[in-house]
Amino acid sequence: MDISSTPMMVMALLGAVGVALPVISVARGERGGNSLYGAVAFGALAAAAAYVAYSVLSGSLAEGALLSPGVVSDDMFGGFFALAMLAVALMTTVSSFSYMRKHGHHAVYYSLILLSAVGMVLVAYSTDLIMLFVAWELMSIPTYVLAGFAKRDPRSNEGALKYFLFGALSSALIVYAISLAYGITGSTNIAEVASGFAAADASMMPLALLSVGLFVAGFGFKMGLVPFHMWLPDAYEGSPTPVTALLAAGTKKAGFAAAIRVVIIGTAAVGADWAMALGVLAVITMTVGNVAAIMQKNLARMLAYSSIGHAGYILIGLSVAPYTPMGLHGSLLHVMNHAVMKGAAFVAVAGVVVALAVTHLDKLQGLGRRMPFTAVGLTVSMLSLAGVPPLSGFWSKLVLFGSALDAGAAVPWAVWLAVAGVLNSALSLAYYGWIIRKMYFEDGPGGRVAEPRSTVAVLAASMAFMVALGVYPEPLLNLAEAASPVFTP
Amino acid sequence: MAETVPLAGAEAAWAVWVLPFVAALIMPAIGRFTGRGTGYAAIGFALASALSAALLLPGALGGAEVHDQIPWIQSVGVEAGVLADPLAVVMANVVGWISFLIIIYSTGYMRGDPAITRFWFWMMFFIGSMQLIVLSDNLLQVFFGWEGVGLASYMLISFWYRDKKKDHVGADGHTALGLAAYYSPTHAGMKAFIMTKVGDIMMLAGMFLIFAYAGTFGFRELGADTAWASAMQAEGLLVPAAVLLFGGAIGKSAQFPLNEWLLEAMTGPTAVSALIHAATMVKAGVFLVARIGPLFFALAAAGIMMDQFFEIVAWVGAMTALLLATQGMVNPEIKKVLAYSTGSQIGYMMMALGVAGLSGQYVDGYTAGFFHLISHAMFKASLFMAAGSLLHVVGSRFMTDMGGLRKKMRKTYAFMWAAGLALMGAPFITTGFWSKDAIFAAVYTSGSEWALPLYAIAVLTAVITAFYTTRMIGMVFFGKPSAHVEKMDKEGRIHEAPLSMWVPYGVLAALTIGLGLVGLGLEHELHHLFEVYLGDAFGIHAADYEPSGYALPGFLAGVNPVALGSSLAAFAAGIGLGYVFYIGRQASPERLIASSIFFYAMHKVMLNRWYLNAMIYWGFVVAPLWLARGVHRYFERTAVDAGMNSGLERATGWGARVVQGTQTGVAQSYLFVFGAGLLFVVLLLLV
Repeated sequence: MDISSTPMMVMALLGAVGVALPVISVARGERGGNSLYGAVAFGALAAAAAYVAYSVLSGSLAEGALLSPGVVSDDMFGGFFALAMLAVALMTTVSSFSYMRKHGHHAVYYSLILLSAVGMVLVAYSTDLIMLFVAWELMSIPTYVLAGFAKRDPRSNEGALKYFLFGALSSALIVYAISLAYGITGSTNIAEVASGFAAADASMMPLALLSVGLFVAGFGFKMGLVPFHMWLPDAYEGSPTPVTALLAAGTKKAGFAAAIRVVIIGTAAVGADWAMALGVLAVITMTVGNVAAIMQKNLARMLAYSSIGHAGYILIGLSVAPYTPMGLHGSLLHVMNHAVMKGAAFVAVAGVVVALAVTHLDKLQGLGRRMPFTAVGLTVSMLSLAGVPPLSGFWSKLVLFGSALDAGAAVPWAVWLAVAGVLNSALSLAYYGWIIRKMYFEDGPGGRVAEPRSTVAVLAASMAFMVALGVYPEPLLNLAEAASPVFTP
Repeated sequence: MAETVPLAGAEAAWAVWVLPFVAALIMPAIGRFTGRGTGYAAIGFALASALSAALLLPGALGGAEVHDQIPWIQSVGVEAGVLADPLAVVMANVVGWISFLIIIYSTGYMRGDPAITRFWFWMMFFIGSMQLIVLSDNLLQVFFGWEGVGLASYMLISFWYRDKKKDHVGADGHTALGLAAYYSPTHAGMKAFIMTKVGDIMMLAGMFLIFAYAGTFGFRELGADTAWASAMQAEGLLVPAAVLLFGGAIGKSAQFPLNEWLLEAMTGPTAVSALIHAATMVKAGVFLVARIGPLFFALAAAGIMMDQFFEIVAWVGAMTALLLATQGMVNPEIKKVLAYSTGSQIGYMMMALGVAGLSGQYVDGYTAGFFHLISHAMFKASLFMAAGSLLHVVGSRFMTDMGGLRKKMRKTYAFMWAAGLALMGAPFITTGFWSKDAIFAAVYTSGSEWALPLYAIAVLTAVITAFYTTRMIGMVFFGKPSAHVEKMDKEGRIHEAPLSMWVPYGVLAALTIGLGLVGLGLEHELHHLFEVYLGDAFGIHAADYEPSGYALPGFLAGVNPVALGSSLAAFAAGIGLGYVFYIGRQASPERLIASSIFFYAMHKVMLNRWYLNAMIYWGFVVAPLWLARGVHRYFERTAVDAGMNSGLERATGWGARVVQGTQTGVAQSYLFVFGAGLLFVVLLLLV
């Protein structure tokens, strides 16, 4: 493997800084230093993101996803996901500047974010199941700790524990799935597994399908697919809010990266029949997510359910992928958009938590007056999540639902995916609109409060992204198209 | 095409409309750090924009065109671009230079206004949007500018949004059909916005209809391949689409029946009225017709006659011209008289452009309409700015509060005469005369079956125009000073307007006369320019010139004698009547109205705007509000609220509670669901 390839460079950079931070902290033997460690982490992440962006934009990368014989491949697909996840890691880091000021163990905190980021990036680049699994664990284990970081808060502990239990279970399922795949094909390389499945004896088919099903369940846990989602609201609500942003916007996307690499490419060999299964999951997931979100009284929890809904939208693209190339374009596009939109929404919530220490919806009354910038940021990201033009969320939903209609020419049931998606988007406006009404049209107590500067910075950057790419979506559309894996069933 | 090396290329064409937008964007920053700086910045940017337009002029006069495109919405193959052909360049110069003068005027007129930065922002935003309309090479981009000028117009009409009494229009207490004819700035802004929006929606529909068949919005692309027109014609959609497009022009140019917003638009600062509601924005509709008219006319080559479209254009123009001129005769507010006059004169332009398409000699009507657009832009902007000075000095919008001002405001008096004479069409020395005469000639010689009725309306309107212009000047400058003026004069507050204000309208008034002296030559130049342009760009070639009737000798060679005769007669009749009633005061209008029931009724109908405004309010504002209240009380509260809403709410709530109920918080049950889910997925895969 070429040492100058993107995944290697990013791993070396982030890994070194991530390991060094706690060491420095111990060596300095002091408490505090939030801004120091935060700044170092920010610098490392920014450098890594810049490197990935450079390699993506340089045009030297192979388009789509490579099926290389090595363990990682330096391709556009990996670069695209790496960009999305590094962006989320950056947002998390910056918003933590203010959030973590009152907490301890800063070096460890930022180091964990960095290590998790290494894992996320490597998941996106992996072309080997073992490599994928190792990256997966590298990504997950730091987040278990991060979820329980507020160790005196029982809800944080409870959320972290549930998250860990499910993480352990899903890891076990993934290992089991890998072992089945290895047993059938004699290899752990994704390309060889795929061709091995295609060439396998018919009597092996049930086992191959079981392996695929286990992959779906294992990755579905991270993606928050129903019915593997139940840990998610508890963990999102309990974790420190910037960590929730990382979970909802970052690691969740790694689940999709893995799912696209493994499930789609692998099952392309098995046949296209699984597509409908994914379609059913997509509809169930988005409906449960959105319906449950309506009843929530806690902002973080509502956003958690909304991100379950969005996992459903993204899954539409995966399920119609065998019939139309637009499917994966849409999924990738929405992965990127959702990373920014949901990241921004959670960062805004983190800002509210820092400034007002509330997350209950009724306490948001008059937020538009008390924290104008945060309220605008939250409003814009929620409108974008709902898919209101001209924000970037509109375009990815358009491509996703359009791909379902497109696939409808081949398989009639796909049209219903689009119908379900549109209905769910409308439903989601109900609870987003409700929050907006609370913030702007109801008077709340108290006057204007200082808004955390780091929150403002992150929100400004994400709003610029959502508006700019909403008005002029061309570059992102092109990028998503270049990054989508091309395959035929 | 003539071999001319243009002075400037595409950069200048882009700069014409991009510069004002840049100015608008930086205006708040300038306003924050400097006091007077915003005004100077606005003048500078307006000048730069106008100069960019001027740079395009030599090339355009030589018949060259600049066409530059950049990618815009690639997924549907739409490109953004500038198209600086002779039509656009002439228009851009009219808009650019008049804007420049009005911006100078505004620095005087708006001095000391606390919200001056907001004013400059929207003025520059307006100029940018207007030039965007003028220089766009496709309909979609035109529509962006179209909405931009609409927004700027709305913002500036309601500029004095505190709705003080002095900023209203109409007379307090006056009612028509039981509705108050007295409007606040915010109401007026909304009215303008909504009424023009009706036209905009029609335009959007027409645009996309054409796009659906042609797959392009580009003017040149539409002209190059006319297969789309044949396809639309076969479905009977071509004329409807063209008329829908024209709907946009009707709304923006305040033509019948969407004319009523323009009168209330006078609540805006007078500089705004001069720029937007006299010289430029209301001409956008005429410009649009001039843009797309040749396209439709050229379809004759493909065997498609668009007579219906051109008839509608001509008749809408003629009706508006007469309708608004009659209303201008009786109104007591000086800005409203000018507003009526604006709508009426634009009617003339529409009539000319419509008649052009009905005649064998397209270029005649086309030139006449556009020539009138140019001359009207000059003299009407001048009149408006002069009226602004009067308002500024006298502090009242009613002409009955003025009177006898000719000694006090000599410059304004002189300039208003000059520009007023142009509006009346004073023979041989004003641009207004030549352009109106060209319209008369175009209508008269068109050979259309409607030529005579249209011609009669045109001449009648000219008489009325000369009359109300004389009336306006008479009421303001002649006669005894009103009590209001007397009182102000005693306090020493009646004086000439400041330099920054009278110079701009002085320049325009002088131009009106100066260009009027060489008006016929100007017309021939323009005629030649458009003849070449229409031939090159659309393949519309002028028929061989056949002088009809008696050819006139000397410097009048080429002028149609019938048109000339009616023009002179109309001017004489109008100014004579006006002189008798309002300057010489040999007769009293009040006594005439009281003398017979006929004059009384006519006066009342005209004063109440033919009851058109009141009817629109009854039909589209009052009645829908009643309906809405009824629906709210008898349907919404019962069927919708009680039945559907709470039913739906309960159902959704139940569903949400069921989902929530499964979220028990117990990890074991979560794991159970996880396992069940795994089984479910495997089963899905196995079937």
